[in-house]
Amino acid sequence: MKILRQTRAGSLESNDLMVVMKPLGDREGIKLEINSIVQNQYGDRIREVVTEVLKRNGIMDAYIMIQDRGALDCTIKARVETAIKRGL
Amino acid sequence: MFDTRIIDTASTKEMNCIKDLLNSQGLYLPAGAQYVIAVYNGSRLVGTGALVGKILQGIAVDSEFQGEGISAIIVTDLVNKALEIGRNHLFIFTKPKSSSLFQALGFKPVAASKPDVVLLEWGTQSIEKFKSGLRQISRDKPEASCIVVNCNPFSLGHKYIIEKASYESRWLYVIVVQEDKSLFPYEARIKLVAKGIGHLENVTVIPGGDYIISAATFPSYFTREADLARVHASLDIEVFTTHIAPALKINRRYVGEEPYCEVTNLYNMVMKNRLPKKGIQLIEVPRVENNGRPISASFIREKIKAGEIDHITELVPKSTLSYLKSSQAREVIERIVNSSSRH
Repeated sequence: MKILRQTRAGSLESNDLMVVMKPLGDREGIKLEINSIVQNQYGDRIREVVTEVLKRNGIMDAYIMIQDRGALDCTIKARVETAIKRGL
Repeated sequence: MFDTRIIDTASTKEMNCIKDLLNSQGLYLPAGAQYVIAVYNGSRLVGTGALVGKILQGIAVDSEFQGEGISAIIVTDLVNKALEIGRNHLFIFTKPKSSSLFQALGFKPVAASKPDVVLLEWGTQSIEKFKSGLRQISRDKPEASCIVVNCNPFSLGHKYIIEKASYESRWLYVIVVQEDKSLFPYEARIKLVAKGIGHLENVTVIPGGDYIISAATFPSYFTREADLARVHASLDIEVFTTHIAPALKINRRYVGEEPYCEVTNLYNMVMKNRLPKKGIQLIEVPRVENNGRPISASFIREKIKAGEIDHITELVPKSTLSYLKSSQAREVIERIVNSSSRH
């Protein structure tokens, strides 16, 4: 699966996150930037969740920026899924 | 609980309510705001914000409703709008005391000109990325001088000061203002700079990006609002001294004396005051004269406006002149003739 256009999902409100996704060329890989108010505690966990959703959807090349305001895992999954669906 | 609406900027009634809310928070309606939103609680206006170019402005929340996440609603909407129209790199100017509010929404501080203003940014670009690009350029270069130019258009005055700086320095960066707010478009300006100084071997021409005299670091440079200019000039120099100069190993900056423009003159004054404190030498070079008159780009534009291109042959290098006479320049010249802008 390929991200074809810039997309976004979510919000900057408390307990939510904003996902911005941009296409990258073949074999450029995944470039993931995470900013979170709980970066130190949950930065790695957010990365894990996002990477898992990307893998499940077969996204190999994309730039993803996450702005997190303390979202739960299920919210992160939902927002990333939505961004992917809008970008295909 | 809260509804967000896009405001018709032509509706005086709605805009007056927004002005009142902004004024109650010590702010005013940003000039040139085309996209303005309002947040309502029932029929009561409780928050507003605007997008002007790549800058989020005029964000205010009714005192009674602060702390309820309304600013997050406003910023989300403005960011969504910006992303939708392809603006991925956004800025906010705010008072130092409000900085943490925007930092919680992911905005990162670029620089502060205390006690007045902090500049924050958000998005896919950042000062850190810009600096790592500059470090790539400066990696194999010695300590250097720099000069920041708009060159609207490139004249013999620019050529003279750049040559002088080049002879006196081991290396020279000519940083061209990238903001496209001048009568000559950026692409044409930087091309004419590169052509005009191609004979100098120790010079690198660099696009100024969003961080050197841009709408983000120095908005009043383009609007010529003198009262704000001092604050913005300080901010621009703060960005230069803390980020740009170290990344390019700059220890000297050249500027031309400014006999005409008040804002540029003020910018020079701020540099004179601030750069030496940061270990950067400032060299102010008198303007080259032609027939007893300093060569200036605004004078050249006046002559073009008056249809007297033949009168500027002594003021611009051949490369600029042949550009002005080419078909490429037709559109720009038409714009100058029809424009009332001094810039």
